[in-house]
Amino acid sequence: MKETFSARMLRVHFGEDDRWHGKPLHEAIVAKCQELGIEEAIVFRGIEGYGSGSRIRHPNRWMLSKDAPIQLSIVDTEEQIGRLLPYLDIMVEEGLVATSTVEVIRYSRPLERALP
Amino acid sequence: MLQAGKAVKVSIYLSDGATHHGIPVYSSILDFLFFRGVAGATAMKGIAGFGADHHMHSSGFVEISDRLPIKIEFIETREKVDAILGKLEELAGTGLIEMEDVTVAKPAQNTKPKFPISPAHLKIEGKAQMMRIYLSEEDRWKDKPLHEALVAALRANDIAGVTVYRGILGYGAHRRLHKDKPLHSPHHGSIMLSVIDTEEKLRAFLPLVEQMVEEGLVVFSGVDIIKYAYRALEVDRLDVDGQQAQPALGNCSEQTEALP
Repeated sequence: MKETFSARMLRVHFGEDDRWHGKPLHEAIVAKCQELGIEEAIVFRGIEGYGSGSRIRHPNRWMLSKDAPIQLSIVDTEEQIGRLLPYLDIMVEEGLVATSTVEVIRYSRPLERALP
Repeated sequence: MLQAGKAVKVSIYLSDGATHHGIPVYSSILDFLFFRGVAGATAMKGIAGFGADHHMHSSGFVEISDRLPIKIEFIETREKVDAILGKLEELAGTGLIEMEDVTVAKPAQNTKPKFPISPAHLKIEGKAQMMRIYLSEEDRWKDKPLHEALVAALRANDIAGVTVYRGILGYGAHRRLHKDKPLHSPHHGSIMLSVIDTEEKLRAFLPLVEQMVEEGLVVFSGVDIIKYAYRALEVDRLDVDGQQAQPALGNCSEQTEALP
């Protein structure tokens, strides 16, 4: 099945160290997205970067350092993104949020085939 | 030197076990062709077959049979083939030699072309589109991972560039949470492909995406291409000027980027 619609893409940049109530911040945000029924959320770990604190985040090659830059990319309608933003205001202490307008095509399998 | 146009393809069928002065026949034929300056030759090992002696050669389950069929193929001009055919017949012994008229579309080159063939996508400036495709690492197309198949399809269609990202956490259309396990336990991540080219080319590619992606999200956004350089051109300039050229890097910035 194919649907086309206009949507917003939101990207949140922060560090892998950042936490929310003892849990990694990216996990907390993804959980919140799921709770709000946000369409798509994906978290990337950068190999190098720096952020608002101008602190270079450079995880060592054995991935032992947890201070890697994190980018969270979320796609949904303007309205849904609007519902998420107030939570981000509280949860993201130090970071950057960027949004852009995008056009989306969603492919989905019929429901009976999607079930395991 | 082999030129584009009419040529002859010669195939020699041998049995692997055959020897000529103690060395395998295929090896001595290859050496002969090499020293006679033939443009190129390939020896191929069959997995089963039979020949003049009507004895079926096939590898047993231990794959150690040394009587398997071997085929040597080369393409040369008619004059050259005529010149070497006598000796070749002698070398091939009981084997079969077949000749076929062929047309060479493009001869192989032993040096790099002086002027690199510019890919069709080279001249992209200004407004372009970024297409992001979200999938699951488990998704497959035919016999390979879907993201690999997509990259191959994009390349075949001369799309300017694509990068595949593996997410460490995420969920998509099917609402299953993908979480990257330590030590990269594979096939359970969220995957994002980021593709950049002109709007027309990406739209033209869409039907293929539609065919290949059963479940997933495709997101378009407008971008400005600031720089898109092709390294081979820089190498060319280096040849001309004899100076160190800067390595070329592709770069782009999102046009609709805005802080909330």
